[in-house]
Amino acid sequence: MEQIPDFWRTEVLHPLFVHFPIALLLMATVFKIATLWVKGKFLDLPGTILLVIGTLGGWLAIYTGDLADGAVSRTICDPTVLKAHENNGYIMIWLFTAAVIIDIFYQFNFSKFKVYLAKGVLILLMITGSGYLAYVGHLGARLVYQQAAGVYIPTTNCAEFN
Amino acid sequence: MKFKLATAFLVIAFLFTACGEKTDVVDSGTYRGTVDKVEPSKTEIYVKTSDNKTLELYFTENTTLTRNGETVEFSNLEEGQQVEVDVEKSGKRLDPIAVRILN
Repeated sequence: MEQIPDFWRTEVLHPLFVHFPIALLLMATVFKIATLWVKGKFLDLPGTILLVIGTLGGWLAIYTGDLADGAVSRTICDPTVLKAHENNGYIMIWLFTAAVIIDIFYQFNFSKFKVYLAKGVLILLMITGSGYLAYVGHLGARLVYQQAAGVYIPTTNCAEFN
Repeated sequence: MKFKLATAFLVIAFLFTACGEKTDVVDSGTYRGTVDKVEPSKTEIYVKTSDNKTLELYFTENTTLTRNGETVEFSNLEEGQQVEVDVEKSGKRLDPIAVRILN
């Protein structure tokens, strides 16, 4: 009889880790955009904290995604979606990593002109990164809901759950 | 200045876009090429064919790996080796049936 697989499989780590950075990085982008209208550190500093934690979480998601890749690539029917998910994931995380670097320098007070420049580039990077984040999430959803990547499919009579 | 900024951003965006690995889907059959990359932790290889296509092959429990007709371990695979691979296309997935190291 079919056995229910262990829940704590390698490929399950990835969905456990991806959703926090998605929320953190999108909120960080909203906060940083809002600083264009709201002056002072009221939204700027929380935005930076969200950005840094979200980016670290993003790298963790990349790592767990790489682990999951080895497990699911042999079972899915269209690995090109997985490859696009992976490649766009790397682009996304490097965009946010670049944003973190610029933001850290920005927090250490450039001259007035450079502050304006840094903030423009920072927000541009974060908006682009958020676009990639949405696309990567869409591809991840296609892997799960169209190809059952990492998903256990029960037998038709559910006998293993008796 | 805005123009320079936009140009710099586009260049960076292009570099990010260009850094991903591209792989190809081919029909079932036998292909010759060079091992472009070996990922031992995933028992996976990338094979670049003579017509510049990159095949991403994850070994399965049924994949055979041979050299001079003898079965060898996955650790014998190295980048730059010439290989001949029999692949079976399932959907858009390429399953390596047999991999023969030629040199």
